[in-house]
Amino acid sequence: MKTLKYLMLSAIVAIFIFGSQASAEDATEIMKKSHMAYYYAGDDGLTDVTMRMVNDRGKERIREFAMLRMDASDGGVQKYYTYFKSPSDVARMTFMVHKNPDGNDARWIYIPAVDLIKPISADDKNSSFVGSDFSYEDVSGRHWNEDKHALKSDSELDGKPVYVIESVPKEDYGGFAKKISYIDKETMLPLKEEYFDDKGEMIRIMQLEKVDTVDGIPTATVRSMENLEKGSKTYVEFASIDYNVGLRDDIFTERYLKNPPRKYIR
Amino acid sequence: MRQFRIYIVIAFLMLTSPAIGQVEFGGFLQALHGGRLDEENPTETEYTASETRLQLKMEHFADRAEFFGRLDFTYDAAVMQEYDWELREAYMKFRLGRDFDFKVGRQILTWGTGDLIFINDVFAKDYRSFFIGRDDQYLKAPQDAIRGEYYGNIGAVTVIWTPRFEANRLPAGRRLSFFNPMSGAIVGASGGMQPVMPEAKFENSEIAIRYNKHFGYFNTALYFYHGFYKNPVGFDPNLGAPVYPDLRVYGASVRGPLAGGVLWLEGGYMHSIDDEDGDNPYLPNSSITGLFGYEKQIATNLTANIQYQADMMMEYETYEMQQSSSGGYVRDEVKHLLTSRVTKLLYSELLKLSGFIFYSPSEEDMYLRLAAEYKYTDEIIITVGGNIFDGEYEATDFGQFQKNDNAYLKLTYGF
Repeated sequence: MKTLKYLMLSAIVAIFIFGSQASAEDATEIMKKSHMAYYYAGDDGLTDVTMRMVNDRGKERIREFAMLRMDASDGGVQKYYTYFKSPSDVARMTFMVHKNPDGNDARWIYIPAVDLIKPISADDKNSSFVGSDFSYEDVSGRHWNEDKHALKSDSELDGKPVYVIESVPKEDYGGFAKKISYIDKETMLPLKEEYFDDKGEMIRIMQLEKVDTVDGIPTATVRSMENLEKGSKTYVEFASIDYNVGLRDDIFTERYLKNPPRKYIR
Repeated sequence: MRQFRIYIVIAFLMLTSPAIGQVEFGGFLQALHGGRLDEENPTETEYTASETRLQLKMEHFADRAEFFGRLDFTYDAAVMQEYDWELREAYMKFRLGRDFDFKVGRQILTWGTGDLIFINDVFAKDYRSFFIGRDDQYLKAPQDAIRGEYYGNIGAVTVIWTPRFEANRLPAGRRLSFFNPMSGAIVGASGGMQPVMPEAKFENSEIAIRYNKHFGYFNTALYFYHGFYKNPVGFDPNLGAPVYPDLRVYGASVRGPLAGGVLWLEGGYMHSIDDEDGDNPYLPNSSITGLFGYEKQIATNLTANIQYQADMMMEYETYEMQQSSSGGYVRDEVKHLLTSRVTKLLYSELLKLSGFIFYSPSEEDMYLRLAAEYKYTDEIIITVGGNIFDGEYEATDFGQFQKNDNAYLKLTYGF
């Protein structure tokens, strides 16, 4: 009798453990798929970006730039190239990032007015991207392996079925203590992300304001990030998006940092 | 003047060409006003700067080439009370085959790893602008040059040929006083002697070569320069005037990531060709110089760097004897220089506070640059800043500018 009781107990425990593990695996798998859909669409891509930053008093700043991206491998190293068009004080500057999911990124800036290439110390992925509410990590993506994920529920957001996933950093992280993602079951894009600090206060909200299909790939063409602490909000609009244009690896080197590839950037 | 007309014609042709969609315009309007903080200065004016500047930029893209031009118009109310203009850049860029890039025309040139310390970067600097609060881009003076670059598996090779020697622009006493070794004192405009430029001959052109190779994220380079000292550090007794002595530089550098920051090392041998033994008191001795630097983001929006440079004079004993007998300032055999830059960004990067200090324990002098830059709108930038010099001796690199302390206000409208 006792044996049977133990047997049943262990069976229940086993089901519980495997069950929860299955859910964790599902959640991680979903986050990975979402990461691929959101950050690794196509093998490469180029786009014109308009960044509108609105502060707590409603004052607006506009940044316009062209962006090229190339994936060395899906989910692996990615290279980004940015060419600033406006405002005037940053026009013609170029900026390059080699994103290493396993280590520090490498970043360079080129200042044409003094013909200067400068590597930038890139310790802090959480620092702001050109003064906006987006961080470097928001632009290039946080690796799904850095957080523990749990599938909280299946729900709906604006009439679309979504996975609701809670992510907690495995190691202490300045960017957030908890993140809730609402991932579109159909496109796997994160329609909304809520970031919380260690006191459980919501600090930032990311939303995909507009999703279009470009070259058959569901693409967020307008996204926003609201900083609830500062009361500021940044809108990013992508235009003239092109996927799989055949960008060559050497574009993401110092040679092209000095000589923007005019074939792709005008 | 004739040159200027040609550029106007080119600009006009481009404006009226059917490919107008490929032309981009921009520029800025800027007012800069700076005043002295020192009472006594043998210069002509109370102002270190009082000028209005209009910079026009134009870019034109074609299929295989592009053109870029920057033209500055200024009105100077501090010293000259007159209009002036300068073609800052006007070059074309094109590619030959897959491996060769060319940049031809008037251009700003930079290489090397130092932050405001230049060893292998023997390209023209403008310290007159640098010391009075003009934008950072004005530290570099343009050179009329041809730059050819080869990119291959062995690395990258850059060759820059500057047919006509381009000197550094140094304080000449009008706005900024300086040390004149002939009179042994800090002097204004009346105390200076006009340096004599090398003749415009083919053999007097400047050649700068760099070989560049990456090892992972470490960038290594070898450099060579053949030309002249960019400052008039020599004296020709026949002409009775300062001259730019012959110079060769051999150097190397490495730069790469370390512990979440960026590390750089650079060294160079300054070969004073005409005074190898150091026995000519009118010419500089050769020297060996080395630099170490490290930069790191130490907190969110706060970046700092440090640099250390040592400069060792060759044939020092001969120099020491010459200087002692003439009663001039005697530098140490090894000059030490420490620098640090700190940059803090505030209010979503709209406000930038920065400080840069040069300090030499061996020369006992220093130079401090401070600036606060606020982007009031996307178009309007307000900058306030200061340049502070100090030194135990009047003859040292920064000590000679000790009467030039200044504070400035700058308003920029970009378009």
